Amino acid sequence: MDRRKFLNLSVFAMVAVPASLSAIDFRETKPDTWTAKTVEDSIKALYGDVKLEESGVKVKAPTVAANGGAVPVSVKSDIPAKTVALFQDANPEAAVAVFSVAEGGIVDYSLKIKMKSTGKITAILEGTDGKFYMGYQSLEVAKGGCEG
Amino acid sequence: MSKNMKIKAKLKKGIVNVKVMAKHDMLTYDQAKKKGTKANFITHISATCNGKVVYDVSTSQFWSKNPQFKFDFKDGAKGDKVEITWTDLLKNTVTESKKIR
Repeated sequence: MDRRKFLNLSVFAMVAVPASLSAIDFRETKPDTWTAKTVEDSIKALYGDVKLEESGVKVKAPTVAANGGAVPVSVKSDIPAKTVALFQDANPEAAVAVFSVAEGGIVDYSLKIKMKSTGKITAILEGTDGKFYMGYQSLEVAKGGCEG
Repeated sequence: MSKNMKIKAKLKKGIVNVKVMAKHDMLTYDQAKKKGTKANFITHISATCNGKVVYDVSTSQFWSKNPQFKFDFKDGAKGDKVEITWTDLLKNTVTESKKIR
């Protein structure tokens, strides 16, 4: 068990500790991923120098987002996954989220993200087969979302 | 105890759809600088059901304000509790749960 992660949890969460055993805090284990400025660097920091296959992962987002403060994005895939990572190239840093997928888990995530300007959203899926898959979607942002 | 999150969990064809809206400012470093405050955003979210992790994600400041997210998982039944926990940069932790409908 990751001790640092353990200390971060409150008393409430401690009740559920057996359940969080498989949870990985990527901010602790891969700190460089979150400060990397480009998508490439961020992927490298997270997974190392990997070959990406451009298939199997579906990223869905509106082609034109009216409000960059909340761009709905969804990632979907049928490939059995270990982790799924989401990046974009419009903001100062690239990483948005890293999901750890439970065994037999469904990869169908939706979330809303901030985009400072027009850019590309990239999703990388680490399969249980050890291969890496990629999907992306470019979109235009009418009004940037990082100015608040 | 339910002012920090809105959770909906619904069973549909053997799959549980969970929708969550967490209440959080999600201040990025840039925004915080302008406002003269400290950046703070949710850094980790996880969900459990029947002692099993069903959702687990490390997050960055680029999630929207009051982040909304959805996910699906198998092996849930009506009446089971989905428990969602988030932690932010200042190490505040909030846990809330909801029964699957």
